[in-house]
Amino acid sequence: MSVTVEQIDAAAEAAARRRAAIRRYTRHPGFMIGAVGIVLLVLVALFAPWLAPHSPTRTDLMNSLAQPSATYPLGTDQFGRCVLSRLIHGAQVSLQVGFFVVLISLSAGTIIGAVAGYAGGWIERALVAVIDILLAFPSFLLALALVAARGNTLDSIILAVAIAYTPRVAAVMRSVVLTIRPRPFIEASRAIGLTPWKIVLRHVIPNALPPVIVVATVSAATAILAEAGLSFLGLGVQPPTPTWGNVISEGQTAITTNPLISLSAGLCIAFTVVVLNLLGDGLRDTLDPQMRRSTGKLL
Amino acid sequence: MTAAFELRGLTAAVPGEKGAVRLVEEVSLHVRAGETLAVVGESGSGKTVTFTSALGLLPKPGRVIAGEALLEGEDLLKLSPEALRRRRGARIGMVFQDPLTGLNPVFRVGEQIAEVLRAHLPISRREARERAVALLARVQIPDPARRVDDYPHQFSGGMRQRVLIAMAIALGPRVLIADEPTTALDVTVQAQVLDLLGDLRDAEGMAMVLITHDLGVVARQADRVAVMYAGRVVETGTVAEVFAAPRHPYTISLFRSIPDVEAPAGTTLAPIAGSPPDPARRPVGCAFAPRCFAVSDAAGCRSARPLLIGAGHEAACHRQGAAELAA
Repeated sequence: MSVTVEQIDAAAEAAARRRAAIRRYTRHPGFMIGAVGIVLLVLVALFAPWLAPHSPTRTDLMNSLAQPSATYPLGTDQFGRCVLSRLIHGAQVSLQVGFFVVLISLSAGTIIGAVAGYAGGWIERALVAVIDILLAFPSFLLALALVAARGNTLDSIILAVAIAYTPRVAAVMRSVVLTIRPRPFIEASRAIGLTPWKIVLRHVIPNALPPVIVVATVSAATAILAEAGLSFLGLGVQPPTPTWGNVISEGQTAITTNPLISLSAGLCIAFTVVVLNLLGDGLRDTLDPQMRRSTGKLL
Repeated sequence: MTAAFELRGLTAAVPGEKGAVRLVEEVSLHVRAGETLAVVGESGSGKTVTFTSALGLLPKPGRVIAGEALLEGEDLLKLSPEALRRRRGARIGMVFQDPLTGLNPVFRVGEQIAEVLRAHLPISRREARERAVALLARVQIPDPARRVDDYPHQFSGGMRQRVLIAMAIALGPRVLIADEPTTALDVTVQAQVLDLLGDLRDAEGMAMVLITHDLGVVARQADRVAVMYAGRVVETGTVAEVFAAPRHPYTISLFRSIPDVEAPAGTTLAPIAGSPPDPARRPVGCAFAPRCFAVSDAAGCRSARPLLIGAGHEAACHRQGAAELAA
């Protein structure tokens, strides 16, 4: 098949458009800092076994509560475990929690919110009632109860936090869908005989996603905080598996002699949360040029 | 010849504080294959509601409370929602007023045309795409093979309306309802879109309903016309009849309120005084009585609903003879 001049022009045009779109992201400092930070964290979590100078669970009782040194860059805890290695491995737990909580609450919340907003009538009233009840319930308490009932494995922590965050995504989704439902292309897609499910999946959800993705990114940060909080209370992932939460909690006993343990774990959490929030803000500003103004006010 | 699409006594209402508020009342219309029926009236006269309710598209809590909507003899209002959905888009198409927002901004236009085809026909993606290109060519989009992959924001308003028309005719419907298809477009583009609609009607032998408030469009495009006021049809007939000798005072007033370039300088336009009644508080008699120049208590204008009378050219007025005199 021969390639015509028009086809080459079209390809060049498409490439130029893609470049312009990418530039919108690269020129946003918050987005870039957030994206680079997240990539760094993911790399650290993925390559933890190779990056960590020691095993995160190996105890060295001769060197308990050691000050930072060449062997132990951040010192050791009361069992003589390398704090830096524990933090590096702890990133795995935090990122898993953040990722899976967002995955679950984003998919479930999007569907629930879209159906509620689009269907209207008694379906909406019933779903909104459930969403409101779950929102009114203290999410941390809900997570505590679930972990207590199911046992404190990583799975049940993820499930607990995801259940707590699903209604938030659903509430945002529903409110966005309410603004999309009266738009003419929805009426047009009804007039061409699309099924309600197809309209929701193809026309409602794709147009409602940008603000929801922003909420999801920010809730990844709060999910990581929630896991750290649960671990701090001893209800999270059980020792000796390191998580940032239980590093803070164990470091507490040595806070006067070796404050660096709790402090460095706290900084890890803070860094992750800030990076995720920057990413969320960046996405909000760049995801959709037409939404740039309106989402800024919406959220 | 039987009508391709016919409404009989269609009445649609929304619940109000004091019982149901009737948005449209006892609307009867018909349009034959190959013919264009223009439905005219000012904003709020019930033009759009009439057709959205006939297609089951009236937003909740609105609902049809009486009447029939016959598509080639089959009453759409008696069908299940699923059966009605399968008729919409396939056998009866509708084009809406605002082309700028009538397309989903996040999908390519070709995908949206293909979607209509795939919603009704068991065809492959590739085949749907090929037919989308053909449809774009059909509605005179230049370079359709390339534009099929564009997004709606890369199209002008007139081109978007063409895409929406392509979607409406994709499955060869017997009836096409165009709801003010050119209101949002500029004047030169309006004429092109209207000509396109006329050509498609002739080529496909479709029946066409053209909802508009522009009497110039009616004169140019339509075979017959129905004038609506306050949710009712007040006058109907062929365009020639109605334009030559309007019988209802409302129609007469509409013609008087159109600027005429040949009128002597200094002539003032005659706007219709007042505004249409709130659907919840329509007067007891003729809804137009409060604004009518020929109103008469003796004729019953304020006490009885006038019925459509006449053969072919019908008008709903108690004072049809007097109205002509007054004009």
